[in-house]
Amino acid sequence: MGKKKEKNPHPPKPEKGRFPKALMVELDKAGLDTKDLIFCCTGDMDNEACYCSAWLSFDKKGLYIALGEEEEIKTKRKNKRERPEPKFTVNKIQSIPIDDIDSLETERYVSTGRLIMKKGGEQISLIRFSVGKLAQFNNFTRAFNSFKDKGEAELPSSPEPDEHKCKKCGKLCPPGKDFCPKCNKKSSTALRLFKFFGGYIPQIILIIAIMLAGSAVNVFIPQISTRSLFDDVLANPNGLAAAELLKALGVLVLSIFGVRLLNTLLTVIQQYVTAAIMPKVVYDIKVKIFNAMQRLSVNFYSSKQTGSLMERVVRDANNIYWFFIDGVPALIIDTATVIGVVAIMFAMSWKLSLITIAAMPILFVGLFFGDKVFRRLHHRSWLYGARVSAMVSDNINGQRVIKAFAKEDDEFERFSKVSGDHTKADLKLSLTEATVFPILEIFVMGLSTVVLGFGGVMVARGEMTTGTLLSYIVYLEMLRGPFDFLSWISNWWARCADSAQRVFEICDAKPDITEKENAVSFDNLRGDIEINELEFEYEPARPVIKKLSLNVKAGDMLGIVGKTGAGKTTIANLIARLYDAKEGNVKIDGIDVKDLKLAELRRNIGLVSQDIYLFIGSIADNIRYAKPDATMDEVIAAAKAASAHDFIMKLPDAYETRVGAGGQKLSGGERQRISIARTIIQNPKILILDEATAAMDTETERNIQHSLTELKEGRTTIAIAHRLSTLRDADYLAVIEDGKIIEYGTFPELIKQKGEFYKQYKIQSEALKTIGIGTGIPADSKEDEQE
Amino acid sequence: MKENITANTISPESLKTEYVSPENCVFGRNKNGFISATVNGKEYGRVILTRALPLAMPDDYICISDIDKNEIGIIEHTKVFPTEQQQLINEELGQRYYCPVITKIESIKEKMGHFYFDVMIGDFKKSFAVRDISKSIRQHGDAIDLIDIDGNRFRILDFEAIPSKSRRKLEPYLY
Repeated sequence: MGKKKEKNPHPPKPEKGRFPKALMVELDKAGLDTKDLIFCCTGDMDNEACYCSAWLSFDKKGLYIALGEEEEIKTKRKNKRERPEPKFTVNKIQSIPIDDIDSLETERYVSTGRLIMKKGGEQISLIRFSVGKLAQFNNFTRAFNSFKDKGEAELPSSPEPDEHKCKKCGKLCPPGKDFCPKCNKKSSTALRLFKFFGGYIPQIILIIAIMLAGSAVNVFIPQISTRSLFDDVLANPNGLAAAELLKALGVLVLSIFGVRLLNTLLTVIQQYVTAAIMPKVVYDIKVKIFNAMQRLSVNFYSSKQTGSLMERVVRDANNIYWFFIDGVPALIIDTATVIGVVAIMFAMSWKLSLITIAAMPILFVGLFFGDKVFRRLHHRSWLYGARVSAMVSDNINGQRVIKAFAKEDDEFERFSKVSGDHTKADLKLSLTEATVFPILEIFVMGLSTVVLGFGGVMVARGEMTTGTLLSYIVYLEMLRGPFDFLSWISNWWARCADSAQRVFEICDAKPDITEKENAVSFDNLRGDIEINELEFEYEPARPVIKKLSLNVKAGDMLGIVGKTGAGKTTIANLIARLYDAKEGNVKIDGIDVKDLKLAELRRNIGLVSQDIYLFIGSIADNIRYAKPDATMDEVIAAAKAASAHDFIMKLPDAYETRVGAGGQKLSGGERQRISIARTIIQNPKILILDEATAAMDTETERNIQHSLTELKEGRTTIAIAHRLSTLRDADYLAVIEDGKIIEYGTFPELIKQKGEFYKQYKIQSEALKTIGIGTGIPADSKEDEQE
Repeated sequence: MKENITANTISPESLKTEYVSPENCVFGRNKNGFISATVNGKEYGRVILTRALPLAMPDDYICISDIDKNEIGIIEHTKVFPTEQQQLINEELGQRYYCPVITKIESIKEKMGHFYFDVMIGDFKKSFAVRDISKSIRQHGDAIDLIDIDGNRFRILDFEAIPSKSRRKLEPYLY
């Protein structure tokens, strides 16, 4: 048995937080004892922000910073795509005794970061690094600080930040991918694309057969329409009488018509079969992308623009469609035509064919450089076009603001400039086309003239008939189209492969939030929420939640208050597991949300967000979104509880009013009430109200407040609000500032504390008094009002 | 008649911006090399300087904050400070806003929607990948910023001053 070939060999990845073995050897040689290193991290700059390799580590005795170089040695490898072994050179090692350091911290700048050590209130810069290394340096800092504080290094629970290196060749690689686009070869993209056609193999065989037959007929046409016409009929070599000649001409004309008709019929059949299967393939692709997109987490959508995602579903699928419906058939037909025509040309006259073949390299060189120039010009035109589109979209979306500031003329000027640039780019493209194509045309014309000249001499010498020469010229002309096409089909394929890659990027993307294999369900959910030392950041080194702990008993209502950007909404998102915490955990009834079945968790959490989205459809459809089988009685009851019923009934189509894009315009408060009704009908055990009544007037807010008070019976409620009056029924209040809880207690307790909550309450009650609205604050607060 | 809008017209006295000048602000260096300042007689062991308009006006409207990021004041124009003070300010800003400067573009290869750059930063050869090229290239005057997939920034100080071959490589991707 032959030895099984190893697939995609690459050096083993070092253990998390450890250096590669080869580097350890070099560090040992340089005098660093690597036996007891606790945690390691790789940098890319020195303390002056000059590029070099930097290796940071620490053990019980100290912190070590080694500077040097890393290069990949090019050796003879069996597999050229195998990642080369790196070679390390250590130039300098800096050791700092662990007792000289109180703690480490990172600072983020525009394109770099800095590792700083603190000692007795002083800050000392240790090393700089590219901002892309920030996550790794934060892990190092955390491990060091925890070791210093508790004697045990806290290793990162999240995966090690990606090095963005291809597993095969070690070159740069897009984030989240194991292989660079080069190793993830186009052929594999092609192979995956062809898999979409797996169910249509008989039709594809039929299409190819028809195309080849069509090409054969096409190649045969000049033999009848030119050579036979001239040599067999018009030249009258057999000396036929006028009537017989006319008959022969008639037969020939009918033959030409028949052959052309056959060719057209074959084309129609091929197009019919292609058109029948292609929309189904495109449907499969679109469904696959859409389905994949539904699995992805919120973070994926935050990092991508809606337009770019829409492009993937619509435009990229269409790019693939047009390549396969237009490009592939043309490629097969043109390739077969070129082979057939060249063979016939050689059979007709090898001498003339040699002249033609000799001129071909010049034509190819011209087409190659022309292609380079045109690609650049097309791309520039596309970029300017995209800028015009972006500006139009920006302008349409911002019409209210434009009109409010009377900026129509300024906007017109801005648009004229951008549009003018686009016109200039298009003009340059058109002018270049108008210059280059005639030159190529002249060259081909020149070639035809040379062939005609040589051919004429051959006809005069009797080496060739007139009909053969003329049909030869027709064949020469027939080559132009396919050559033209073959010169830019590579671009077309590049565009299709580019689209396909984006499609597969979505299909292959791994959701950030995944359900564990052995995820559990609630037996009988009570609704206890426990938040332990929660830490979260949307971007490295910009923590939003910092070691936050909270407990909410089942059935209680917790109010969360704080300034904008304090992290209130993030807490709600983490409870609903729209994001995963970096450190710490959220437990519901004692079970970590990461161990729960996602559908089960979300079904039991009702989140009324400050970003209200109504789907295209009727109001009733929107209310019953979470419970499609809800009866109309339930829909009305939910709408009443959300104080939405009255305004809905005033609309001409009441519950059948179309909302969402292009539908009935509703105010912010009305939309918010529908959103509350949608959550009420879900009947969740845990209710999260994130600024749920922010867009309502005080009276409506009070009505909803009354409904929500009834609604909160038997469920755990977390209410986030700026307006403190919303939280007067809360059992507890937590004041959040900069990702931490700064005050916690009941409403009267917080008023008595005279801290941040008291300050905010006072400002708000004074503001409300000035517009003649009482705060409705419980009696305990009277003493403060008197002050 | 057109009314002149000043800071006072827009914001009340309580929100008035504290502008600092050489008369009430002196910069220095602490023993660990960080920039320190004395503003209105109060000493700050380390201050953080940030630009309000980093691209258009890198030497004007510089915000001074303490290490807890509380604003101390704003320098309207750094040029009014003595030369050695300006040098301190510029060194500090230079560190915070440092971007590796591209001197030559060796190649730009487009592969499946990603653009792979091989560039020279002085004598150092650097490779990086850019995802959405139209959004990752920012032009401001003669300078161009390139932002790679990790968020690292690279700068071409003067597009017209780099070799013409390099210009031709990048030019198709500029607006």
